[in-house]
Amino acid sequence: MTGTHAVFDVVSPGLQTLVQDYPGRRGLQSKGFFPAGPMDHLSFRIANSLVGNDPGAAALEIPMGRLTLRVLAETSIAVTGAEGSGITLNRAPVPLWETVPVVPGDEIACSIIKGPGFRVYLAVAGGIDVPVVLGSRATYTMGGIGGVEGRALTKGDVLHGYPGPSPTRLRVPTSLRPGLANDWEVEVMRGPHADPDFLTEQDWKDLLASNWKVDLNSNRVGTRLNARRFQWARPSGGVAGGHPSNVLDGSYPIGGINTNGDVPVILGPDGPTAGGFTVIGTVVQAGLWKIGQLRPGRDTIRFREVPLEEALALSARIDYTTDPRHYEEL
Amino acid sequence: MTAIINSRPAQGDRPAITYRAAGDRHVLVEYGEMALDLELNFFVTAISAQLAEHRVPGLVEAASGFRSLLLHHEPSLIDRETLIEAMEEVHEAQQSVRSLIIPSRLITLPIAFDDSESREAVHRYATTIRQEAPNVRDNSNIDYIVEYNGLPDREALYATVTGTTWWNAYTGFFPGLPFMFPLDPRNAITVPKYNPTRTWTAEGAVGIGGPCVAIYPVEAPGGYQLFGRTVPIYDILARHDIFRGDPLLIRPGDRVRFMQVSEDQLLGVRRDVLENRYEYMIEDDPFSVADYLARIAEVHAEAETLRTAREAAAALMEVP
Repeated sequence: MTGTHAVFDVVSPGLQTLVQDYPGRRGLQSKGFFPAGPMDHLSFRIANSLVGNDPGAAALEIPMGRLTLRVLAETSIAVTGAEGSGITLNRAPVPLWETVPVVPGDEIACSIIKGPGFRVYLAVAGGIDVPVVLGSRATYTMGGIGGVEGRALTKGDVLHGYPGPSPTRLRVPTSLRPGLANDWEVEVMRGPHADPDFLTEQDWKDLLASNWKVDLNSNRVGTRLNARRFQWARPSGGVAGGHPSNVLDGSYPIGGINTNGDVPVILGPDGPTAGGFTVIGTVVQAGLWKIGQLRPGRDTIRFREVPLEEALALSARIDYTTDPRHYEEL
Repeated sequence: MTAIINSRPAQGDRPAITYRAAGDRHVLVEYGEMALDLELNFFVTAISAQLAEHRVPGLVEAASGFRSLLLHHEPSLIDRETLIEAMEEVHEAQQSVRSLIIPSRLITLPIAFDDSESREAVHRYATTIRQEAPNVRDNSNIDYIVEYNGLPDREALYATVTGTTWWNAYTGFFPGLPFMFPLDPRNAITVPKYNPTRTWTAEGAVGIGGPCVAIYPVEAPGGYQLFGRTVPIYDILARHDIFRGDPLLIRPGDRVRFMQVSEDQLLGVRRDVLENRYEYMIEDDPFSVADYLARIAEVHAEAETLRTAREAAAALMEVP
């Protein structure tokens, strides 16, 4: 690989460590591709900004932790995301949310992530070099494409990167870091299939008033919540099927709350692009990153309805925190 | 707050239009009423072709559904109101679809009914997700599909599947998955989907959910009732030449015909595909909407009688 150098040797791959980029594979939903990309797009972009990269450059998503890398080049890294990852450089603790210089022979390791939060992101100056497939380097686990051969990292993988000048050492001020929790508030907009024609008004109120448990069986495809029987505004799905959650099939928005019969599932970046179930609400862009930090089997969420204007304002606010001009120089 | 942003009644041949909010980056545009009317899908196909030709700045993509388009837009480039105004112009310019000739291919695929991989998927569901679901009997969904539609036996179901050509209304779910509907309304069967869904389905499995038949292009979760298996229809590695250039076999507007084979024969064919020895049966065959409308008018009465009987059978069935 001309122009690139080996940066990491994977000593221990972790549960499902993936190379991702942002915004991933856009414009291919008509062919059945969701964008892939990081579950927590906010921590991901901040990690890249800390090492002087474009915020969307290819970097690592590490769910649950347990990753060990041997450094093969002189470069800089940044780790962001979940707390309690016990991340170390040569067995000494490393701070999250800042630029960390590394040299060949260094060992980066994280233990099982205790949280709050579920995923950490690791960016390296210059970005990771994997082939661009259909316009993106993001690993799309369902289609088996992108990243390293379309799969999670395994022991013995050697990751290459693009060499570049040493970035300025930066730290994200505490006030600009994403707030992590065990019990989350997630911003949603109503619809496309809500009241009055699909849900009753009471159903929507109940959705907002409930504490939802994040099911253990949650991943990049979808975040499953606890089952619940809505009243529904229709007795059945008619021609689309017997259950009132059935509709004639259509394309889904990412972050859509998709009612699988009686089980709501928040559609993730590797999720199904279309199907025959109602989408009763949609997590807005500014709330999507939180879905990537939900801990399966433990965390809870409440949905907060926001109007379009507030959704866009929140989105601008989180974009502000990904701009390195607002970080402290070390 | 409401999910419905705006709506327009039907006008002449143009269906009613409903704009629905889907978060801050998407708008779902729905056409007509929730009816299994392929003319609505031909309308979607026509609008989609117009949008591909005259791009709306800031519109990242318009992804089709049976009777809908999901508009993904970049709010910093186009706000929701301006996007809807641009769509209104596109709808205004769309003439009747009744004289359209749609580019299409006829693809013939082998199918093995009640195959062991589909049985395995149902078995896993029954052991790990939901025991005693009404749609599961003897590790299979087939008897449920048969009874839900009042068919006399399994053979009648297989004849219903192989006896019509299936229209790919759009592609989605996972890469390359066709959402197909029968072009002969006498073969229109329907069945509720899983509740909750399966976590695993074999690549190549064929199933039905609502009125729609789908082929699973990759191993995936799923909610359709399974009845058989066919050959690969997606391969990013292009192990067969048919996937060079485009990893998807079936495009929107293509038609599929199923040809019954034994499971042994199917496994042989699947090996041949991986070794690049199989010849996919594909012919160019443009689709005339006018001819289609004439044909369904001829069989309308018979199709309605069958539909009434199937609905009566369905009314007696338990829904998952």
